[in-house]
Amino acid sequence: MISTWASLFERRELVREVTLAELRSRANESRFGVLWWMIDPLIMMTVYWIVIVQIFGRGEQYSPYPVFILCGMLPFKQIMSGITDSCKVLRAKGNLIKAVSFPTLVLPISTVITGFVYFLFGLAMLLATALLTERPMGWTLIQLPALMVLQIILVTGFSLAVAAFGVIFLDLPLLMTHIQRFLFYGCPILYGFDMVAERFTQGSLGGTAAAEWIPTLYMANPVAILITGYREAIFYGQVMAPQHWALLSIEAVVIFLIGYRIFQFYDQRVIKFL
Amino acid sequence: MRDVGLYYWRQTQKRTTLKDAFLNWRWGQRPKLLWALRHLDLTCYEGQTLGIVGPNGAGKSTLCLVLSNILTPDEGEIAVRGKVSTLVTLGSGFNPDLTGRSNIHLYAAFLGIPRREIDRNIEAIIEFSELGDFIDDPMRHYSSGMRARLGFSVATTLNPEILVLDEVFAVGDQRFRIKSQKRIQEMMSRSRLIVIVSHSTPFLREMCTNCLWMENGTVREYGEASVILDAYDRFMGAPRRLLDTE
Repeated sequence: MISTWASLFERRELVREVTLAELRSRANESRFGVLWWMIDPLIMMTVYWIVIVQIFGRGEQYSPYPVFILCGMLPFKQIMSGITDSCKVLRAKGNLIKAVSFPTLVLPISTVITGFVYFLFGLAMLLATALLTERPMGWTLIQLPALMVLQIILVTGFSLAVAAFGVIFLDLPLLMTHIQRFLFYGCPILYGFDMVAERFTQGSLGGTAAAEWIPTLYMANPVAILITGYREAIFYGQVMAPQHWALLSIEAVVIFLIGYRIFQFYDQRVIKFL
Repeated sequence: MRDVGLYYWRQTQKRTTLKDAFLNWRWGQRPKLLWALRHLDLTCYEGQTLGIVGPNGAGKSTLCLVLSNILTPDEGEIAVRGKVSTLVTLGSGFNPDLTGRSNIHLYAAFLGIPRREIDRNIEAIIEFSELGDFIDDPMRHYSSGMRARLGFSVATTLNPEILVLDEVFAVGDQRFRIKSQKRIQEMMSRSRLIVIVSHSTPFLREMCTNCLWMENGTVREYGEASVILDAYDRFMGAPRRLLDTE
């Protein structure tokens, strides 16, 4: 069956069932189940807090560091796990795709939704931590729904781009691990964008043209903008710059459309490789 | 209802790695094409039961995939009027971590059975599968027979207009097999067009009105079931007779 949005809408019951089944099976397979979805971000937060603050003695300008890092980790993790899971999902369900007629688009879409549910649990923990540490949160939190919508559009775009492609080029899932590591340090997760800007304006490049465009290029990365957005809303209690909102929206939509085109192109071919 | 089929299908070499892709690009080689179906014309009408025979690799299963709208033909076109339901590999959508009951809903959603229909029939499905209490156990504790029985029970609750069967008659033990054959016959009596792939010519002789003999992805002969099956039996039987005379 050719995957279109219309066919996806027609089979929305299937999307719901697949997502529920995935969530239920992940919750059932461990003793603590759903509790893990909340413990996970806390452990992650603690590890980086120990390494960066306690061992390196850094991050004082980002205090309380646990809140700061979680703002970066959570959206990053959702995007990355969305991509890596989508890479594998068509292969994992290969037998099914060859036996039953349904739009394969259902599989990456429900992978994204599953990841987003995890994200929501993490976000709840983040907001709880932020409350405990008395961050200046308030009305700036109204940015969160908009950020989440853009995040979903972005993840869906990335996921669709790799989902079908990952079946044909088996190297892609393997490559993803390394891309993920590269991006982890390349995005403002452990540090903030202000640190990058400072390095280039006051470092050896200070005053040159490069000092201008390298930070701009750095912030062209939609994931970097997204993380900054969460930080502005939760950590700093400010509104993200309008040019960043505009850039993020445009990039998310463009990536989404490209991803969908790539998926459509490979959709029918993929079945022959399964 | 009228089914028009005219489709050609192409299968590329299995699995391309980046290395292959690189070499192919460098040496200017195109991946080899294997036409699983090619230049195949076929028309079937309501009320017919079509049997498909042919040696291994003739494209029978591929034809079923195309008929079920799982694969789209690369050449030519196919028009199917009516809702197609395929019984090919049963129960491949099961999630081993979930209970049998949750899996009924999941598998039914894949098959496109509306939820209310499943809710209405769930007791009948469980009863037919003979799983009893095990229905609330995680699927990974099931034996392969239990899985197959459950898959069969869910898939056969469908009310299809066009039924495609690809060698699904061997499910479970002897007793369940008899039961399932009865179920399939019930389903067949409700469907308006049936397509059966089988290697058992006596079975096809009994069931089919028309028969398609496939070879190398295309039609070798098509016509009335008894005529085609006689010819096919003679063709497949020939080597054995040669051995007998020796």
